[in-house]
Amino acid sequence: MAKTGSGEKGQPDYGWRFQGKIVRLCEDRSVQMDESSHLMERALRQMSMEYFALDRCLQCGICTEGCPHTKLETNARFSPRSFIQKARLGLLDLSGEDLWLCTQCGQCKLICPYEIPFLDVMISLRSLVVEQGAGYVPASIKGVLSSLSSAGNPWKEDQSRRGEWHADRDRSGNTSGRQDAVMLFVGCLPSYDKRAQKIARAAAELLQRAGVAFDILGEAEVCCGESALRAGDQGTFERLKAINTRNLAKGGAKRIYTLSPHCYDVMKNRYDGLETGGCQVYPFVILLHELISKGALPVRNGVHKRVAFHDPCLFSKHHSIIAEPREVLQNIPGIELVEMEHSGEKSFCCGGGGGGVWRDTAKGERLAEIRLEEALKTGADILATACPYCLTMLEESARGEERYQDLKVMDLCELLREGVFS
Amino acid sequence: MDKRVAIIGGGVAGLGAALSLDRYGIESIIIEKSPNLGGKVTGYAQLFPDFKDGKALVAELIDKARRSPRIRVLTNASIRTMARQDGRFELAMTSGDAVCADAVILTCGFEVFDARKQGEYGYGVYPNVITAPELELFLDPEGPTKGKLLRPSDGQPAQRVAIIFCVGSRNKRLGNPYCSRICCSYSTKQAIEIMERHPDANVTCFYMDIRTYGRGFEEMYQYAQELGVKYVRGRVSECSALPNGDIQVRAENTLMCRPVQGAFDVVSLSVGMAPCSDGAQIAAWLGLELDPYGFFQAKDDYLSPYETHQEGVFLAGSISGLKPIRDCLSDGFSAGGEVALYLQRLHQGRG
Repeated sequence: MAKTGSGEKGQPDYGWRFQGKIVRLCEDRSVQMDESSHLMERALRQMSMEYFALDRCLQCGICTEGCPHTKLETNARFSPRSFIQKARLGLLDLSGEDLWLCTQCGQCKLICPYEIPFLDVMISLRSLVVEQGAGYVPASIKGVLSSLSSAGNPWKEDQSRRGEWHADRDRSGNTSGRQDAVMLFVGCLPSYDKRAQKIARAAAELLQRAGVAFDILGEAEVCCGESALRAGDQGTFERLKAINTRNLAKGGAKRIYTLSPHCYDVMKNRYDGLETGGCQVYPFVILLHELISKGALPVRNGVHKRVAFHDPCLFSKHHSIIAEPREVLQNIPGIELVEMEHSGEKSFCCGGGGGGVWRDTAKGERLAEIRLEEALKTGADILATACPYCLTMLEESARGEERYQDLKVMDLCELLREGVFS
Repeated sequence: MDKRVAIIGGGVAGLGAALSLDRYGIESIIIEKSPNLGGKVTGYAQLFPDFKDGKALVAELIDKARRSPRIRVLTNASIRTMARQDGRFELAMTSGDAVCADAVILTCGFEVFDARKQGEYGYGVYPNVITAPELELFLDPEGPTKGKLLRPSDGQPAQRVAIIFCVGSRNKRLGNPYCSRICCSYSTKQAIEIMERHPDANVTCFYMDIRTYGRGFEEMYQYAQELGVKYVRGRVSECSALPNGDIQVRAENTLMCRPVQGAFDVVSLSVGMAPCSDGAQIAAWLGLELDPYGFFQAKDDYLSPYETHQEGVFLAGSISGLKPIRDCLSDGFSAGGEVALYLQRLHQGRG
């Protein structure tokens, strides 16, 4: 059960392991607890046996300072540090909203000096709450998880309508079914959401223009399961993963491109069946980058705009994809690319990850608002991104606010489409 | 007894070892790669916890060594190769000289952590972010600023100073998970020096834990607080420069559970220590194994802390783990005694 605590770089782990035995820092938990916290404590103990995480935290607070929530001027601040401290004292209150504030952006993981796997700790705690009922699950998350489980998408939409955005298009240039076709994994938002469908359409048009044959799974595609996974619903995630893996294999795809960084992350890291089946997963922006460098996507029209690029956390912080989207944008003549206060690896989360996109967050407590302010400061006309969640979060927060009315939120595919087509 | 000992490294541990051997009537040769003896201590005007004059200490040690007929010194000397032949150590120098010795004491010391590796603090980018050895130079009455702390960006006096502890220490991500042991104390010493000279200064220390473990260290820490040095518990996540050159520092005050930020004239990074960079090469020549971080391992940490697994090779000072200056010196003295005993046995065995 207990994994060895030796670090990845072959360094010994001192302190929490001693002569092969696990040393507990607080064996005597003389804190009074009720029944539910006993249940939680048992699970926490098991978890920290696996990760050695809670005990090796130095409580230095660098995670809290780095956490995007710290920049919100609300009274109830989320602090990863005190979260861990409370967890190891058995004092964590899972009946509150705290557990659901983490957007899994990964900033804490990047800066933690002791490589505490806080994101995994968070997922484990959520699964304790979701799967064992040890605490509070927001109604919005409950609803999404039940839809994902029963319908394969977050809204209980009809699966047969999943490919509709593509079906009503001019199929004269239809290239699917060809031997060299790549697979476009569209994802839920670009499949169903009216706004995000524009990303999918732009992507399809760009592919047709570049002469790249592609397939979509259509109704055989279900949610990648990233939301379920990060919300702690392992069971639903495993079911969705099994369906997608089976159908992708049936389609014979060798190269899969995902429109969402979220699909990419989970398919790259957690779909173990894909790679063994000889399949490679890439984000769509990598394909665009490739096509542009090959000269397969000549850009005819200048887009004379000042553009700020918002790095999706899953690209910049989790997969170090930072240069490629910028190079795609710079390829469009006329674009003046500007950087916001937080960019690249230090990008600022839009609040949509880790189930955040499904939660209702009151105005004034949204991370996207801080991001929009940063964009305003650069004087950008367009806030570009490469993630349907980021697009939704930023656009929703800007909607109806006069101060943002001159700031347009666009996906990279849409911008490139403007450059390629007149 | 006609025996000679090669001492590799001419810092305080090496000097201590040479002086100790001298008292036993044993010849030694100090091989130092830099132009001067004294090692890193030559850069410290005052030592903690008693504010002893570091330069005077080094000068005294060097003077004693120079006056001894049994201590030879090679400076600017680097070793091309080293091997053991017929129970003796043959050292070939890059200058072409050869040194022959019956025993070797390794006193190569440590390296200061390169603060550029912790990019979030902006060392090397923002002029007003400096490292502790640079602060030491500012605080040196004989240094370039005559002991005044100035903002490197514009030469104005610095009133607001932040000291960030544990830079390059206790950091698994950077591969230095260990505590460098002396940073808490030397930083506190530096804070005291600033406050004593400028009572209206604002010195804020960002720490994770205060580890003032030695005799007189804790008292020094308490004295610093009496003087008004502020200690904020929290690791700084980021330094950024403001247009006027001020450095903005952000951290969580983990005791208050709330974020803190402040603008400072100068931010000093209390850099930790890393194993000496020549360690791997020397270990390979002598057939020794290093610990996972690159420190030399004693034969037995408890019973024979100065011996190694190779006969005739001894350790002293920070080469086997980071130590304050007092401990390095006493290491040198003790290792000298161990070597004397070893050589006497060797002599009797052969005789």
